[in-house]
Amino acid sequence: MVSELPWDSKTGALKRELAEGMMNPACKCALEAALQIKETHGAHITAVAMGPPMAEEVLYEALALGADKGVLLSDRRMAGADTLATSQTLAAAIKTVSPDFDLILCGCRTIDSETAQVGPQLAEELDIPGAADIETMTLKDDLLVMERLLDDFFEVLEMRTPALVTVSTSGYTPRYPFFTGIEDAFAKPDITVMGTSDIGLNPDCVGMKASPTRILDVYSTTANKTNVVLKGAVKRIVADLFNAYGDKIGGAMGKDLQTHEHESS
Amino acid sequence: MQLNPCVKHKVVRKMVREFMETELRPIDAEIDRNARFPWEVIEKMKPLGFFGLQVPREYGGAEIDSISYAVVIEEISRVSAAVGLCVTVHNSVGAYPVVSFGTEAQKRRFLPALASGDRIGSFCLTEANAGSDAGGVETNAVYDKDGYVINGTKIFVTNGGVCGTSLVFANMEASDRPGGGAGVFIVEKGTPGFLVGEIEDLCGMRANPVSSLFYEDCRVPEENLLGKNGDGLRIGLAALDTGRIGIAAQALGISQAAFEASVKYAKERRQFKKPIGSFQSIQNYLADMATEIDAARLLIYRACALKDAGRPFGPEAAKAKLYAGGLSRRVTDRAVQIHGGYGYSKEYDVERYFRDAKVTEIYEGTSEVQRMVIARAVLSQPA
Repeated sequence: MVSELPWDSKTGALKRELAEGMMNPACKCALEAALQIKETHGAHITAVAMGPPMAEEVLYEALALGADKGVLLSDRRMAGADTLATSQTLAAAIKTVSPDFDLILCGCRTIDSETAQVGPQLAEELDIPGAADIETMTLKDDLLVMERLLDDFFEVLEMRTPALVTVSTSGYTPRYPFFTGIEDAFAKPDITVMGTSDIGLNPDCVGMKASPTRILDVYSTTANKTNVVLKGAVKRIVADLFNAYGDKIGGAMGKDLQTHEHESS
Repeated sequence: MQLNPCVKHKVVRKMVREFMETELRPIDAEIDRNARFPWEVIEKMKPLGFFGLQVPREYGGAEIDSISYAVVIEEISRVSAAVGLCVTVHNSVGAYPVVSFGTEAQKRRFLPALASGDRIGSFCLTEANAGSDAGGVETNAVYDKDGYVINGTKIFVTNGGVCGTSLVFANMEASDRPGGGAGVFIVEKGTPGFLVGEIEDLCGMRANPVSSLFYEDCRVPEENLLGKNGDGLRIGLAALDTGRIGIAAQALGISQAAFEASVKYAKERRQFKKPIGSFQSIQNYLADMATEIDAARLLIYRACALKDAGRPFGPEAAKAKLYAGGLSRRVTDRAVQIHGGYGYSKEYDVERYFRDAKVTEIYEGTSEVQRMVIARAVLSQPA
């Protein structure tokens, strides 16, 4: 849960060095979608991560699973970026490392902040069509046909590449890596670490400085529940119970308990 | 680029843990209770490379480094020691001797099926009258018309009930062994005269089909003698050195599981209106467990690092195995104690860890044999 992660109460930023080096679950599904496209149509997959140096670990994981190249955007000046600054930074990186991309796949949301904003904002920044929360997709030439679950119906969408899709966690089950994949990822790692200047951005355009939003607080909702113990003779307890909670119990059951009581007495 | 091997081992650990927690955890207690070999999980492990961990790529393996190997075995054993046992015995004493001592023809013939897991491997040394004393082996192999005829009975064979390829330690006739000593023969399932006995009813490791194997006038071609004439004892001892790293890692995995369960329980269980973890007695237990588990892990990694550097590692593997085996018995005993009456119940996993731990002081060389190996190394050094 978001509120259980280590937040810095002064800056409102996540203390990422304390969060376990894990790949975001929805991003794993996005990578799985990319790997399936690669298996069917052939593709060159570049995995992009933004974070402290230890975030390199998730790129090794991506390479082990079958990505071809990893790019880590790591620069102290990028720290504290909100979703807008993050999407602007990612857009600059993509234009630098892979300007001729066909498809950008993102996780639909992160479990550390749950905003689901970066993907759609990135599509805007790159000025390409985007679709969010996609369950499954198939590619026919440059036409992407996607399915998305909305309330209680499936929506089928189409768009032409280059495009951006954010992938939900229900359509694609991430695979396990082969040991040969892990060995190769570390034996011949193709991971590039890039800073602000490497992607042609002005230091004022990244990180907290370029972020108009501030997180003031993160907290769990607390339920102020107390236990009530009814004591005494059974008849008295039942009467007290119905006096205090009869309306609520009756409402939940869809019955008027008062009437019932009159009938029986 | 600077390569940090610690990141690699962290990634290996994370990925194996994810698989085991997802696929094996839901049935960990059930396969123990029913003494059932979990084929459905084994089948999923095969294509990922769990059965060719240290087999070279050219023969279909993954060829991972030895520290990664220890991490894999620890993580499997953290969930099910019996499955960890299957994988480490297959890899370290089932397949690795063929990698180390096999001729090119033997590697091409036997390794691909072992590395893919199509044939699960076993190593057969122990007999009714031979265990710690490998010289007491009574199984014999007699040279006869371009082949060997093997006769004998092997007992307590890990993976025995499911093995497709067995490495059999047998005495050879004096006239057949100019180099002296015993021989290790590769016998595959389906060879006439090779029979599987009853599955043993053991205290722990119950999901592993440990059994006897019978060789009755079992004829194998000459090419099934591993290595050269008279290499037997050398192969056997080398296999055990490698095997000990795996068993040490298995014992470590059991200890880690018992430790994690203990920490969780110490935080949850309340007595005298406080979590029991707030009492110094319990804290001391946990502190000792944590310290000794770290020590065992480092002993194992040192043996692995020496092995990968191509340096002698026998005494270091013996130290790691001796220490980790004893540790797993102590840690699981403490874990049961921390859990109190619940720890003695099959409702809680620590009861299984307690039963599984003991044998790590017995197989792949008893603790007494490890001390012999270590003492021999100590005393052979110049004063």
